Amino acid sequence: MIKKSRKVRDYKELTRALPTQTYLDPETVYIHLQNGRCKTYDLYVDEGDHVDFGEVIGVRHGGFFEQPIHATISGTIGKIGKKLHRTGRKVDCIEIKNDFKNTYHKTITDRPDHVIDKLDQDDMVEILKQKALVGLGGSGFPSYIKLATKETINHVVVNAVECEPYLSSDYRLILDRPEEVIMGLKYVMQALNCEHGMIAIKADKNPLYEVLTQVIERRYSDLNIEVVRLGNYYPQGWEIEVFKNALGIEVPHGELPMSYGVLGFNVSTTAGIYNAVKHNLPVVERYFTLTGDAINYPQNYRVRVGTSIQDLIRQSDGYKEDFDEVLVVMGGPMMGVSTVSDDVIVSKTTTSVIVLKNTEYKEEPCVRCGSCVYSCPAHLEPVQIMNAVKRNDKDQMKSLHADRCIECGLCAYVCTSKIHVTDYVRKAKRLIR
Amino acid sequence: MTNTMPKIIRKTSPYLRRPNANAPRMMRDVTIALLPATFFAIYSFGLPALWIILTSIVSMLVTEYVFYQIQDLLQGESFKVINKQFSLYNFSAVTSGLIYGLTLPDQTPLWVVALSGVLGILLAKLLFGGMGQNIFNPAAVARVLVVVNFATLATYQTNIDGVAGATALSMNNADLFSADVLNHYPIMDLFTGIGIPGSIGETSALLLLLGGGYLAVRTSFEIRIPLMYIGTVFVLALAVAIQQGLGLWYPLYHIFSGGLMLGAIYMATDPITSPITKPARVYYGFALGVITFIIRIFGALPEGVVFSILIMNMFVTSFDYYKVTHPRFNRKRSLIFIAIIILSIVVTLVGVSYAG
Ligand code: SF4
Ligand code: SF4
Repeated sequence: MIKKSRKVRDYKELTRALPTQTYLDPETVYIHLQNGRCKTYDLYVDEGDHVDFGEVIGVRHGGFFEQPIHATISGTIGKIGKKLHRTGRKVDCIEIKNDFKNTYHKTITDRPDHVIDKLDQDDMVEILKQKALVGLGGSGFPSYIKLATKETINHVVVNAVECEPYLSSDYRLILDRPEEVIMGLKYVMQALNCEHGMIAIKADKNPLYEVLTQVIERRYSDLNIEVVRLGNYYPQGWEIEVFKNALGIEVPHGELPMSYGVLGFNVSTTAGIYNAVKHNLPVVERYFTLTGDAINYPQNYRVRVGTSIQDLIRQSDGYKEDFDEVLVVMGGPMMGVSTVSDDVIVSKTTTSVIVLKNTEYKEEPCVRCGSCVYSCPAHLEPVQIMNAVKRNDKDQMKSLHADRCIECGLCAYVCTSKIHVTDYVRKAKRLIR
Repeated sequence: MTNTMPKIIRKTSPYLRRPNANAPRMMRDVTIALLPATFFAIYSFGLPALWIILTSIVSMLVTEYVFYQIQDLLQGESFKVINKQFSLYNFSAVTSGLIYGLTLPDQTPLWVVALSGVLGILLAKLLFGGMGQNIFNPAAVARVLVVVNFATLATYQTNIDGVAGATALSMNNADLFSADVLNHYPIMDLFTGIGIPGSIGETSALLLLLGGGYLAVRTSFEIRIPLMYIGTVFVLALAVAIQQGLGLWYPLYHIFSGGLMLGAIYMATDPITSPITKPARVYYGFALGVITFIIRIFGALPEGVVFSILIMNMFVTSFDYYKVTHPRFNRKRSLIFIAIIILSIVVTLVGVSYAG
């Protein structure tokens, strides 16, 4: 099994071909008041207040930025309660009870095209800031900060690679709404005065290629937008890997892609940018995959931000009865976070929840096969880092660049002896921080 | 909605593992790959070969079993027939035993086989802490113990030409560059192993290569090591052949005779006792080739394979030393490596011209 292995079984067939189910009218939504990047907040509403769809109800404070909080349905404000967040901590969430009237807040008005055509970088940055747009692929990094770059950007890349197994929400998003993605990209290119746009997909996703190229040819042939098909391996979706394979630009560890003239956005973010610019909408809904081998009906959903996962699991007919123990993973099965409860909600950055049966793997001693070294996309030597952790040799962990690990999980995935190598590398990262 | 609610438990990512990857399968593959050579050994050398192979495997297995039982008893655990560290199921002791058996001359007394087998696995593997912890290849250690302690007892079959206890390689040692050897052992015979004396499992290059092909398909070994190893011996022998005006037979003869195929494909590739990165594995294979060739033509011993493997085993930790190790080739390292290759060829040629 001595092998560089970047093929990860993808299980996308569970959901990929199914139509997206719309679930936009939950009884209640819960909106995060805190998240991984923002610890404190101010709230502008009280219990019992009525809010409109898209209304600003408060503001989160991050280290160096602020983020307005929007209501994602119209209704009455309920209590503030604690809910589990992806980070594993309990955070404050506010409840909004749906009045099913769907009244739009007055700020939600379309921008006519002739106005949009005149927007420059600063205007766009301001819009994204007001609409609290962040990296919807999971990073949660504020998009306006990215867009405000002063570097010359030669290429804008939309990352639609979605290399994590099981996930297909980006796939459905493109099939259902290719124009939003393309228009979003167009706006970014306009803001950055950039001539070249690129949408990166996996090579084996032919339907996406056809949809995108057809739409571009018919309606946007004046734009220089290319659809590139990248390799089918994992973690092809890692931004650095996308830039390398799509453009041949290698961004060294610790440097920003912008200094190399490229900027990447996740597809959902790009569609979000379109909605923010065109409809003046904040991120109120998202495409979401609920799948896994321990759930009855794996499915893609279009949901309101704030929808309870328990609701969605019910929509999918619940857990399969065959298993005593399951894992509930927010995010993909390679990098996602496993939670202790299904009482979690869809936030802006939750792409998916995967319900997996619990498999115990029998661990053997390391046979030094080297597969983990061959496979690591960051060119590390996971097994050596693991040995350094066992010896608690911090110098060695540093020399082996444990801090460069992107926690892609590949080293544990490939390990011949089924050792959880990634955990050791993670530990090393913590120890030398 | 179901009524039964499964228990939600917490783990850390990734939650998936590669199917078909496991250590026992890897070890088992080596055993399977050796089966043709093993059957051929029994066919060519008869029952003694069978006994030698069985003795070597059993001696290693039993030692490991007893060792872990004693260790468990010392740690106050209750007796279990199958205890958890014993590695019969993961095939590592069987694999070592089989390889060791195949490296032995057919006239080796069984008690020598057993004694060296016991010591080999004990000293080289168990005392280091068991599977994955050992520095030396147990099969190679056991084989060297036989050479060092019982050289006169472990002899080769007298062959048709009446050359007592010699292998094709030791014939050549007597007269360094004489093509005479070809009269006894045509290259084709060396390749197929038919009628060739030598250690029981090493005679047929063909069958050993066949097994190597199987391992390559199953990705159960690092093919760079044997390629570099055999390639290096070939290139050095070729350089000597050109300098001395010998034919192509000379390098071919070097790679097909002696334990090179067996050692290169099955012993040097033992992942536990070889370096961990791709470049280091290439350097390692190269170093093995150089040492083997030097021992062969300048050393007193006809056979350099097991010795070179043990020597290089000692340096594996240096290859993997965290300050020098690198998972990828880069231009600078490659240039240095090419310089070293050229240097090795030059040194060999100078040495040969003095010896000749
Ligand atoms: S988790 Fe880290 S160390 Fe392991 S393969 Fe990925 S980048 Fe390399
Ligand atoms: S940690 Fe696993 S993959 Fe890495 S060398 Fe050891 S056995 Fe192989």
